[in-house]
Amino acid sequence: MSETVLAKQTLEEICRAGFEKAVCQVSNDELHELQSENGEINLFRTNFETDIRLSGIRDQRRASLGVNKTDKATIGNAIDELKAMAEGANADPAFDIAAAQPADIFSAGPDEPDYDLMYDRLKEVQNYVADAYPILNLRSVGITYFKRRSCLVNSNDVQFESVRAQYRVSVSFSSKDGLATSSMMYIGYSRYHLDDPLKNTVNLDALFQQSTEQIKTEHLPGKFVGDLVIAPTCLSSFLGFLTARIGDAPMISGTSVYKDKLNEQVASDVLTLHSAPVSDEICSGYWVTGDGYKAENSTIIDKGKLNSYLLGLYGANKTGLSRAVNGGGCYIVEPGEHRFEQIINQVEQGILINRFSGGRPNDRGDFSGIAKNSYYIKDGKIQFPIRETTVSGNMIELLQSIQSVSSERLDSGSSVFPWVRVCGITAS
Amino acid sequence: MQIADIDLKRYSNHFSSYTELRLHENTSQQIALLNGDVIANTRDTSGGVSSRVFDKGAWGFSSNANMTDEAIESTISAATKNADFLARRCGDDNASLPAARGEASSDFRTKLPRKSQEEIMAFLKSCDEYIVSACPDIVSRQVVLNSLDMEKKLYTSEGSIGHNVNTRTLISIKLATRNNANEPVELMESFGHRGQFEDVFPDMEEVKQKVDELYQHLMNKKDAVKPVSGYHDVILASDLAGILAHEAIGHTTEGDIVRAGSVAGDYLGQKVASELVTLVDFANTYEGETLPVPVYLDDEGVVSKDAVIIEKGVLKSFMHNKDSAAYFDMDLTGNARAFSYTDEPLVRMRNTAILPGKDKIEDMIASIDDGYLLMRWTNGQADSTSEFMFGVQMGYEIKDGKLGRAITDTTISGVAFDMLKEITMLSDEMTWNCAGMCGKKQPMPVGMGGPAIKTKMFVGGE
Repeated sequence: MSETVLAKQTLEEICRAGFEKAVCQVSNDELHELQSENGEINLFRTNFETDIRLSGIRDQRRASLGVNKTDKATIGNAIDELKAMAEGANADPAFDIAAAQPADIFSAGPDEPDYDLMYDRLKEVQNYVADAYPILNLRSVGITYFKRRSCLVNSNDVQFESVRAQYRVSVSFSSKDGLATSSMMYIGYSRYHLDDPLKNTVNLDALFQQSTEQIKTEHLPGKFVGDLVIAPTCLSSFLGFLTARIGDAPMISGTSVYKDKLNEQVASDVLTLHSAPVSDEICSGYWVTGDGYKAENSTIIDKGKLNSYLLGLYGANKTGLSRAVNGGGCYIVEPGEHRFEQIINQVEQGILINRFSGGRPNDRGDFSGIAKNSYYIKDGKIQFPIRETTVSGNMIELLQSIQSVSSERLDSGSSVFPWVRVCGITAS
Repeated sequence: MQIADIDLKRYSNHFSSYTELRLHENTSQQIALLNGDVIANTRDTSGGVSSRVFDKGAWGFSSNANMTDEAIESTISAATKNADFLARRCGDDNASLPAARGEASSDFRTKLPRKSQEEIMAFLKSCDEYIVSACPDIVSRQVVLNSLDMEKKLYTSEGSIGHNVNTRTLISIKLATRNNANEPVELMESFGHRGQFEDVFPDMEEVKQKVDELYQHLMNKKDAVKPVSGYHDVILASDLAGILAHEAIGHTTEGDIVRAGSVAGDYLGQKVASELVTLVDFANTYEGETLPVPVYLDDEGVVSKDAVIIEKGVLKSFMHNKDSAAYFDMDLTGNARAFSYTDEPLVRMRNTAILPGKDKIEDMIASIDDGYLLMRWTNGQADSTSEFMFGVQMGYEIKDGKLGRAITDTTISGVAFDMLKEITMLSDEMTWNCAGMCGKKQPMPVGMGGPAIKTKMFVGGE
């Protein structure tokens, strides 16, 4: 039975059970994965998964449920359970489902995995590393072909069908020479194809080179307040403070520091941030929001001004603000005017941070954490890899202190990020 | 068909080399109240069959959501083909795994009548109402119930057979207030135990106690000062000792991480900590008490046993699955666990703890002239260098042997095998935490435990 037929049948049953509003999404996933550990290809995995999501609103009471079996008995029991869950919930007029929209069909990505190419790309990166960086250990490399066929329907006549397939690559590595060990580094990306060798993608070769340097780290010469050059590999750790606080829960509770900041300057005017789930630049995007609306790209921060919250349908109804045209994620930062080298040259004293191991910032934005796989910068030049270095500051001020954005960007398939220089960070 | 009703042995004629066959179902529930409104009311059940096959050093794995005869047979066949695909390309004729045969069954589902959704919701609403009545100076509150039941049935070609059901139920409370500058100040705590809702929360007593404690700390935190950045004498409260055991030391001594280059590999048999320190990854039981995440038979069919990692300051051993035990030629410990039917077993901790000492917490505080008492972690990470970091959301200054002002959220860090040598006092209390969810490739519930610890550590701040 196709996803669409099953979704429509199940939707009818939910409605027959007494729900005034209902949603059903059926997905079938295929996963084909080759994995290596410590330089040896050691696992080949094929998974076949099904997921059925049911959601219903009855007397303004909402419940959601997921099962992964498609037989009549399982779905019947699930609907009975959904009724019981909704009956036990409280009524809230803010619960709703997506309004009627024209039906649509979406697709992207290759139909089938190419096992031989997956194997060859994996073997190729292993051979390359063994030759070029003998002290580097490829702790884990995974190349996965993932395909999802999905259909979402709701009782307002919404029907969206989609097929998306992609290759996902993850690489984690560290270097070791005698007793000297580097910090672990990892990176992941997704593509519709495997045309390029792994080492030529997402700056991986440079990160390999850096890992071998990082077996010999030094302490900072002393505590200082200076610049932080944030690499694309960890920019999400710093943008995440804002994007997490413009969503439903903090906006509804009223604890978000960005409440009432729409159209106000929340970041430096050199920062423009888009959420672009349907952009050609993003291969791990989505066409339909979690609420069942056709997703659109949006600008979250426009030259430093907060242009949109990330409220879902419930959050919008609850706060009286506008619903976002997408569900967030898939972030793209507009490139700047400076080359990476020029940005480094601008730094009197600072740190190039490639990975941030930090505690969760508090609601005021105060943060501190460890700069991993990172470098000390002095007088416009990268000096040496650092160890046990804590960076601290305030996330709200950090976004406002962005000085420059690089013209080069790193495309991970789920984000497109540049290097960003901020100032006023304490390093110790 | 229920997992309990399926006889896995009958599929053994489809095995052609070392094979694991596992039925696995996870059932989770989340109910979230934000300022009294139910914003999440969800339940998920996800299960199926998986098979893993070892052929000339290569693993083939496959899984299927269905658990019919046909699905189980085709899953074994797919896993066998996958192993063959790799064996033909990069197989090693000499590769072998240590053999293991064991049997175990356990079931931690409640024996009490199950409560209805309406009754559970009413309990959570009572929690919310208690917060409203007992915490007058808050601006926002969240109450979240999370439960996870994990049922696994395993059969291996070596004859291991197991059927285990692990359960846990947690409640998270988050309270927020505003300080004199009208800035938000928040605190969160998750608590709960092994077991289903009926056993874990028979009444409101534990919730009330936790809310009262949390509110008192939140009120203190309204006037919190930033800690002074730098190395300090600190006392880690017992909940922090658990995450220290897990993140800072435990991960560096997992067999696969050691093989990948963890510094712990260089220290085996050496003194790595104060002789006060003994650290154990317990399989299922401590001093006669069943632990938060009891594992009797792991997902490779190995009978789980306690792994003594550090004994009186000396690094004694690592945690293993079959791959790492074979590589290091060490004994199996039964640490191989998978989170979902779609996952292969990895080396995972179970209940990792630093054993208690003989000191009283008040004596420990009195011994510090200028330092911090740190409590309630938010997150943590470790590295192969043994460098670690934890987020801390609550703490107090210690001045002249007495607790002082509350401090703001901070991050503590250090190099585990340096910091362990600085431990000078361990309290005589032992606290187990059931709320851990480790994130090494797959999520996994873990137990963590320990006493309060006096050591030196880097505290982030001004």
